[in-house]
Amino acid sequence: MGNEASYPTEMCSHFNHDEIKRLSKRFKKLDLDCSGSLSVDEFLSLPELRQNPLVQRVIDVFDTDGNGEVDFEEFVVGTSQFSVRGDEEQKLRFAFSIYDMDKDGYISNGELFQVLKMMVRNNLQDWQLQQIVDKTIIILDRDGDGRISFEEFSAVVGNLEVHKKLVVTV
Amino acid sequence: MFLLLPFDSLIVNLLGISLTVLFTLLLVFIIVPAIFGVSFGIRKLYMKTLLKIFAWATLRMERGAKEKNHQLYKPYTNGIIAKDPTSLEEEIKEIRRSGSSKALDNTPEFELSDIFYFCRKGMETIMDDEVTKRFSAEELESWNLLSRTNYNFQYISLRLTVLWGLGVLIRYCFLLPLRIALAFTGISLLVVGTTVVGYLPNGRFKEFLSKHVHLMCYRICVRALTAIITYHDRENRPRNGGICVANHTSPIDVIILASDGYYAMVGQVHGGLMGVIQRAMVKACPHVWFERSEVKDRHLVAKRLTEHVQDKSKLPILIFPEGTCINNTSVMMFKKGSFEIGATVYPVAIKYDPQFGDAFWNSSKYGMVTYLLRMMTSWAIVCSVWYLPPMTREGWWSEEGEGEGHVQRGAAEAVQQDDRWEP
Repeated sequence: MGNEASYPTEMCSHFNHDEIKRLSKRFKKLDLDCSGSLSVDEFLSLPELRQNPLVQRVIDVFDTDGNGEVDFEEFVVGTSQFSVRGDEEQKLRFAFSIYDMDKDGYISNGELFQVLKMMVRNNLQDWQLQQIVDKTIIILDRDGDGRISFEEFSAVVGNLEVHKKLVVTV
Repeated sequence: MFLLLPFDSLIVNLLGISLTVLFTLLLVFIIVPAIFGVSFGIRKLYMKTLLKIFAWATLRMERGAKEKNHQLYKPYTNGIIAKDPTSLEEEIKEIRRSGSSKALDNTPEFELSDIFYFCRKGMETIMDDEVTKRFSAEELESWNLLSRTNYNFQYISLRLTVLWGLGVLIRYCFLLPLRIALAFTGISLLVVGTTVVGYLPNGRFKEFLSKHVHLMCYRICVRALTAIITYHDRENRPRNGGICVANHTSPIDVIILASDGYYAMVGQVHGGLMGVIQRAMVKACPHVWFERSEVKDRHLVAKRLTEHVQDKSKLPILIFPEGTCINNTSVMMFKKGSFEIGATVYPVAIKYDPQFGDAFWNSSKYGMVTYLLRMMTSWAIVCSVWYLPPMTREGWWSEEGEGEGHVQRGAAEAVQQDDRWEP
């Protein structure tokens, strides 16, 4: 305990030195097996997270190199997107990537369905959910390609003062 | 020889006299009562006076802050992030209201922005949660004039600063040397006393002396910390052949429990001063000290402890099953090793009052010496000890994992703290 590992300062994050120190302590506390990266199980060891339907999506978004675990750099860069100093586009991109499961830059019908399914679980029938998904895409899809691009997404969501909602003050 | 000024001899005389007076007072009011286990009630009076002063100080701060329209308490300073407590419905309604002008229905079933709430809540939890808070020090609601506990309070007036300065003077210049002198006396008496008792032949007289030497020295150490302890349910105190389990907030727990009862300690052999103390103690009565290599071997440890408890003439063992120091706001899950030995378990709950001095040892932040200095420069250590009714193996289910839960719940209930299970 008490060893401070140095972190690469080229990590592009909005946090200052103190905040990164606090985050690194937090990271170490979450990393139960001291492997240097956080697995899904280590995230799910937080009781409050187990009830959150979007945990897997958030972890996937953090995990930029796709190895299934979140290392410290991914952790800082990921949480930095929620920083008070982050810009609106970055936050919108984060929200977008929650829906965009295959990271191809478009939210397809199937992806929207899957994310909604995670949130409602069994409270709605599949066909009811499909109706909602279809309706949403019809309304929002401007260029008619059957899927939602980032521009179409931000057109809808962008005027909601996102930067106030997706903010965690460290 | 340097030239002495004419009034130097006067100063020396004065110094000599005051030291003698101080020493006599020390002896009469502190050490002698410790030897016999009686108390003059000086510490309780001290505690009452301090409480009055703290209440006054907090009142002043609140009044002052109201006058100047300052924020007295920093907003949402629980943990490393500022959490905004809103509910799911509120938040989604708010987002939808501020947004869509293009809604075809009156109440849209779903908006793309609905995920924001979950994302933020998830992030907040990832960055800070309830369990991790157990491992850092508790925060106070009123200020106790120690700058180290000033987390929440921003506005302090001049009068208060003066009072604080006075407090610093008293604590560092009067109380600290007194306490160090007492601690020194206590420890050296312990070492000398137990070594001397060790030379006696085994028998009832040796036991008797050993018990009283131990008790006396622990009582002196208790006074060295100005620890004001209230014991509850003393009829449940641990007896020979049993195991005493307690929640662990700091190394001082040992001194607090051992000043009221005669226990066999369990621990690792240390070097340095601790090692000297351990070696001396074991001459007078059989404590269980493990070499560093033996600690890793669970079976060896269990075997030695079992042998100890089976010998009914041996003292009850003192064990802290939480495994590490917790900040005293809740009781963490007990590790099960101590319960597998099969002896009668005497649970004890210790609750510190953080008003007078925070006894929690955050071992990642402070070393032992720093910690002891912090203890000795606080006002006092006030705590309550509850002796809970003993439990035997037949008294709880023998399924793995249930026994210690039972005991832990009892301990937590006794001090009305949170009972938090680890996942």
